[in-house]
Amino acid sequence: MIKLAGALLVLFAGTMIGFYQAARFAARPRQLAQLAYVLQRLETEISYGYTPLPEALQRAAESGVEPVAGVLREAARRLAEQPDSSFRESWEAAVTDRWSDTAMRANERTIVLRLGPVLGISDREDQMKHLRLALLQLKSEEEAAREDQTRYEKMSKSLGLLLAALIVILMM
Amino acid sequence: MMNRIMHLLPQELAGIIAQLPMSSMRELEEIRIRQDRPLEVGFGGRFQFAGADGSLHARPELAYRPDQTVCSKLLERITNHSLYAMEEELKRGYITVAGGHRIGLAGRTILNQGEVKAIREIGGFNIRIAREIHGACAGLLPKLLDWPRKTLLPTLLIGPPQQGKTTVIRDLARCISAGSWEHPAAASWPGRKVGVVDERSEIAASVRGVPSFDLGPRADVMDACPKAEGMMMLLRSMSPEVIVVDEIGRQEDAEAVREAAHAGVCVVATAHAYDLEDARGRPVLRSLIDEGVFAAAARLRKSQAGIEFDVISLRRAGAPAAREPTLSEQKQAIARGQPR
Repeated sequence: MIKLAGALLVLFAGTMIGFYQAARFAARPRQLAQLAYVLQRLETEISYGYTPLPEALQRAAESGVEPVAGVLREAARRLAEQPDSSFRESWEAAVTDRWSDTAMRANERTIVLRLGPVLGISDREDQMKHLRLALLQLKSEEEAAREDQTRYEKMSKSLGLLLAALIVILMM
Repeated sequence: MMNRIMHLLPQELAGIIAQLPMSSMRELEEIRIRQDRPLEVGFGGRFQFAGADGSLHARPELAYRPDQTVCSKLLERITNHSLYAMEEELKRGYITVAGGHRIGLAGRTILNQGEVKAIREIGGFNIRIAREIHGACAGLLPKLLDWPRKTLLPTLLIGPPQQGKTTVIRDLARCISAGSWEHPAAASWPGRKVGVVDERSEIAASVRGVPSFDLGPRADVMDACPKAEGMMMLLRSMSPEVIVVDEIGRQEDAEAVREAAHAGVCVVATAHAYDLEDARGRPVLRSLIDEGVFAAAARLRKSQAGIEFDVISLRRAGAPAAREPTLSEQKQAIARGQPR
């Protein structure tokens, strides 16, 4: 009886892990698109609105959805609360802090971190160039993420269940 | 006042400035920060170099030298991490921050078709500490009252640079718009609508369109606007009763002053000149003075006791009045026995 319950538990856990992995595969392209959207919003604020960076970050964050917007909001909060740190420090701290909330990987993290040393310290055209470049790179990451999604989303769901089944068989 | 400048400085610099001797702190005028070169402070008309512990030296060898990190932090903070939003300011070479303090910048310029587009690689900062003096015009305002109209005479303030023209004109704007006319008989006069054209952001020191200095409740400020255009814009849109403008001297300024005078608006302007004779030597000013656009000229001199004023009346018989008096004003004038 206990064995059966244990087996069921293992099966359930395995399936859940599989579903969780699948959800991450599905969330990554979506969040990449959202990230591209908030960065685009940031670009608009900078290039047309001449909005100061802390406020521009705040506004871009408001127009986006969690957890992606959380990164920008955190950066804005850090800028406001620690006026002695540079934007680069605030940005890097915010990205490091909030990245685990998202389903995004190291590639896009490097792209976003690269914005740290350049945002806010050059003229408008330069800012636009840097943001456009980041958007372009995010776009290609998004395509790759979509391919991964079609390839691995269903697979990881069944893989979770199958591995759990294997463990159960071995235990029996 | 110092608090508002302190929050702009990176910790390293703020620490040094906070440790300066109290006596020099009170008179602090300038903080000059040059990358990798000695930190210099100006106070009470003198200059000294500041050491890392806030001590003052005449010799630069003992001074603290701000490095690249400190300078880039300072730049980030005075631009609010947004250099791109400061294009106009960088073109002019200075940034006005809250409190009216002005930070001059020096570095490598970028040219666009022969014109300076921006400064990049900024290596020199000059923080000029602004002080507004309430009551700077107390000795002047009573002499400039236009009794029949219950307002101010159109006035030209003249004086060499550094004599406090801007300080006085700022305080004039405040008194007029607040209706504190500095004269017991004029105590009941209302405040007037004041339009200020602040081409160099010196009068109001606006930050994002809002004046940092107190200009009274009824002042509208056109910030960073060319004087002639700004006066015309104010005339068209803000119905000012008094227009305050700094440093007129170009032909188009004169046109706008004339236009304002004929629209019945009292113009208060400053001009660089040693005295009235000197002002007459400048064609633009002479034509304005001779046409009777200004009813009075005031010469400013800084002395130990403060700013001294010499008021000269310019209104000649038969000179065109800036505005036809209204019927009720004429009645009042007749009742007083001084019909115009």
